[in-house]
Amino acid sequence: MRFIDYKNVVPKTVIGLLVFLILLIPVFTTNVATLSMLILSGIWTVAVMGFTLVLRTGQFSLGQSAFLAIGGYTSAIFTVKLGWPFWPSFFLAGMASGIVSLLVGMVVLRVGNIYFSIITLALGEIVRIIAQQWEPVTRGTRGLILSPPPPIILGGFKINFEASPVPYFYFTLCLIAVTALILWQIGQSRLGRAFAGVALNPVLAEHQGMHLMKYRVIAFTVAGVFTGLAGSLYAHFLTVITPYVFGLWQSIQIMIMSIVGGISSLVGGPIIGTILLYTLGDYLTRVKTFGIQPLLFGAIVVMVLIFLPKGTGLVDLWGRFWTKVVWREEEYEPDTPDD
Amino acid sequence: MPPVGIWIDGLIQSCIYMTMAFGMVLVFSILGILNWAHGQFYMLGAFVVYYAVTAAGIPFPISILLTGLLIAGLGIMVKKFVIDRVQGVLYVGVATISLIFFFEGAANMIFGMEDRGLSMVLSGVLDLGSFSVSYQKMAVLVFTLVVMIAMYIVLNRTKVGLAIRAAAQEPTAASLYGISVERLSLIVMGIGCALAAMAGSIMAPIYPINPFMGGIPMIMSLLAIVIGGIGSLTGAIVGGLILGFLNSVIAYYLSYFSEVVLFLLVIVILLVRPQGLFGAALK
Repeated sequence: MRFIDYKNVVPKTVIGLLVFLILLIPVFTTNVATLSMLILSGIWTVAVMGFTLVLRTGQFSLGQSAFLAIGGYTSAIFTVKLGWPFWPSFFLAGMASGIVSLLVGMVVLRVGNIYFSIITLALGEIVRIIAQQWEPVTRGTRGLILSPPPPIILGGFKINFEASPVPYFYFTLCLIAVTALILWQIGQSRLGRAFAGVALNPVLAEHQGMHLMKYRVIAFTVAGVFTGLAGSLYAHFLTVITPYVFGLWQSIQIMIMSIVGGISSLVGGPIIGTILLYTLGDYLTRVKTFGIQPLLFGAIVVMVLIFLPKGTGLVDLWGRFWTKVVWREEEYEPDTPDD
Repeated sequence: MPPVGIWIDGLIQSCIYMTMAFGMVLVFSILGILNWAHGQFYMLGAFVVYYAVTAAGIPFPISILLTGLLIAGLGIMVKKFVIDRVQGVLYVGVATISLIFFFEGAANMIFGMEDRGLSMVLSGVLDLGSFSVSYQKMAVLVFTLVVMIAMYIVLNRTKVGLAIRAAAQEPTAASLYGISVERLSLIVMGIGCALAAMAGSIMAPIYPINPFMGGIPMIMSLLAIVIGGIGSLTGAIVGGLILGFLNSVIAYYLSYFSEVVLFLLVIVILLVRPQGLFGAALK
């Protein structure tokens, strides 16, 4: 597994310019379809970032959509059934999902590897079945109808969530920014290196005095919290939550976006992967050929895994573009360990 | 106590889970990876047999064998073109998971989304007083028994079986003794996929056929493997039996929540005995 240090590769001005352009998108277009596609892909980005963090510790979770569902349903139940305001239930959604991931992680990460994938897959199905069958609370397959967040009044300026998707756009950007900042800090810090160590050689890491469980559980819990927040936002944006939007299919989709984007960068990879694949998926659903979307997604992942091996993904191309084309440096030769 | 029909249904389900879990464990023991797309080979098997019987008019038993051969070839291609070319065990898992998407999408595009049904090949019912069993279900049982006995003979009485067992225990040492682990893994991949496809084709007259039918058997056989212990063939058979019976018996009492109970049961088993019922200690 190799990680690119973008500090030295991509100039900060380029990244700043990109962020600035993204911030200006609502000025250029207020088309509801475009904006909602961007918002939804932003929400998926947060979930994908969480998945990538877990993958960094060498475990792959097939139940990330369970946390989206837990977040979404928590905030839906608290706002609709108990009449709570939006903001407390939004944060409660993150907390609930974090607590579930902490408990599940403490139980399952002990065995790790394939067992972890199978159990998280099972968890995803459990959550979906409960959401589908617990009629009195979740209204089963009919789903819960939510209202958008209340308007925020800043001085004489009123941010109204009901009128247009623009506030949602900035809200999603804020969520991505917070997630990205925290994950970026984790990636930079000792914790991030510990994750890589745990993934690279668990036995050696354990012999160096690193508590495997601790790092795996931390990664899984952080991922759970942010995925829960994303799920809450997802439910409030769509204003309806049904069990069908969270299943094995969605979990695998999260995995695919993460792998295609690349896990060598905790922030860039998920953003690139999600935006590309979400746009492609959105386009493909409009083509009236059923099954072309999963077919292409599957093929793309296999291609990416063959030609950009070991999870370097598309973000590696971006790094290579800067090192080789712009800076004309030597071939980037990382020390890859044998496994 | 649930009625006898429930137990018979459980037995039929366990037959399928057993066959699929057996193939998965066989592949796992040589290749060291789980083939997550196993359920999709089951689905493809059902489709191939459907078209072989309805479009080509090949008799059902022969078309089951043909399906096995065809899907074995597909499995070998997957091994050659996907599994061998992807680096890192973790990413091979990811690649086979995305093959789930690939095959489901392909089946969806080629065969369409609607349910299909193959008409009963063996009509007639075995009447046993208070309950009855259709011959079609008996065929599933007989098929599974035959497959299991055949696999037992292959693994224990033939040279290939000896090589498979040796390579599963110690690949390096086995290759020092002149066993081509590479070729062996192709054979094993073929056998595993053929087992899944034949399980799907024998079930084709009983259950509706659609591109998404592979999901539940795949999840169930994964759980069976976890119960029995990853890498243990006996474990796969016993796990499949336990799971099939539990699934239908608990479903009799709890309907949809049976799956939740099963998943929780598996989690408890993992906690108490992480290596499964028959597995060696975890590495």
